[in-house]
Amino acid sequence: MTSVAVGLSRDLAAKRVMRAEVQGYDIAVWRDENGGLHAWNNRCPHRGMRLSHGFVRDGHLACLYHGWHFRKDGGCAYIPAHPELEPPETISATVFSITENAGVIWVSATDTAKAPAEDGEWEPLRSLSFACPPEKVRHAIENTPFAGQLPERAASGHLTAGSTALLVHCAPLGDAETLAHLLVAAGTSLAGRKALSRWCETARESAEAGPA
Amino acid sequence: MSREYATNDWYPVADAARMIPGHGFTTRLLGEPLEVSGSFENPVVTARDGRMLPVQVRYGHVWTTTGSAPRPLFDIAEADETDRTFVPCGAVQVRCSPLRAVENFLDIAHFPFVHTGILGEEPHTQVAPYKVEIREDADEVWATQIGFHQPQAAKSATEAIETRYEYRVPAPTTAVLYKTCPPKPEAWDVIAIFVQPVAEDMCIAWPWMALYDDVSPYADLVQFQQEIFLQDRSILENQKPTLLPLDPRMEIPTRCDLTSVVYRRWLKRKGATYGALTTAA
Repeated sequence: MTSVAVGLSRDLAAKRVMRAEVQGYDIAVWRDENGGLHAWNNRCPHRGMRLSHGFVRDGHLACLYHGWHFRKDGGCAYIPAHPELEPPETISATVFSITENAGVIWVSATDTAKAPAEDGEWEPLRSLSFACPPEKVRHAIENTPFAGQLPERAASGHLTAGSTALLVHCAPLGDAETLAHLLVAAGTSLAGRKALSRWCETARESAEAGPA
Repeated sequence: MSREYATNDWYPVADAARMIPGHGFTTRLLGEPLEVSGSFENPVVTARDGRMLPVQVRYGHVWTTTGSAPRPLFDIAEADETDRTFVPCGAVQVRCSPLRAVENFLDIAHFPFVHTGILGEEPHTQVAPYKVEIREDADEVWATQIGFHQPQAAKSATEAIETRYEYRVPAPTTAVLYKTCPPKPEAWDVIAIFVQPVAEDMCIAWPWMALYDDVSPYADLVQFQQEIFLQDRSILENQKPTLLPLDPRMEIPTRCDLTSVVYRRWLKRKGATYGALTTAA
């Protein structure tokens, strides 16, 4: 499994761009006006500017620095300094594989992105950053009591605690940080969602306080 | 990566008018710490080993050099024209190569996108052909015959104008811009960027202007320039790699990038590669 969860579908609206890290690559993730997702090497081939600072227009991602437009296939479509020029086909952003399933966006920098098959219906809760590696995040989450009892890991991978359930996808950021994407069982009440959110923050305190 | 060429240039390390006797400070130049003290009339720059470095006050700044055979500091003739207003614009520290900062200053195609509504705006994005040359006698890069539509070319501008530009690179970490002066169209305003190479990946830009503007308050002139430089910083700190690539395969220029192409070629030819990547990453 080389795909990495880079964010919750809900948090990337149409015509928005975000930055992600996948397998050590700096990535620009953007959603076009039709809802389609795109993951590119986060570097404009012109001057090396991070494309995650860019803007979506006319179905293209445009670089903030000089406004160069790139088509969904990564090819350069338009150079504003030379409106009459047909950009050479050699000018292209580097495209990676991206997919989304069950409210989570997945990217692979090395092969075709695949989302895991999820058991049950899930809704996004939040993304939460941890100042520690993913192993410590998982350990802390499994060892932090929720409503007085330790959560249990179901065979399909999610956690259950009493009547609530939580799905956690951890993406490493560098060697010492993690971005965790949290989902709850569909239909969880607002009070239940708040309680799970607080519980994850408690788990974070424990994860970040533990020995390095 | 060579420091050898870089050590024999002069660099700004302080705004001369802001030197306060008894209040020295430390800064860094080419990766080495320096102590700057003394007064406007008599600045003192001391290296870590206690050696007192050569000093001169020019263009509103205190300049020093660490090398044993420094090249002369370039001349900006307009600095001696007493009817101009001289405006040192403070310091902007940027986490980027000093060469990236200079190259950005030489670029006009970014104006509509980075300095929107001030130095450029859509749909006026087109860059017309202009001329670039290395003037061998002076060993400087010059870009001339540049024109660009600008909504507010200067603090003194009251309407959008077609601004004329000439750029001059008299040293690897300095660029001088001669541009149409809105209230006095027959003259050039002079805007320079003096870059202090703190390290290969960190610099301090000291913008300085010699204008015909006796109306705008000093604070407004500085504010105008600072706003533009802070907009540039948001770009400069997000370019990858941080160092300026000199291998032509690493970044793809287009026609309007001729100044940058010649600047990079000039740096490579001189061996002025402090702050540059000389091989493909």
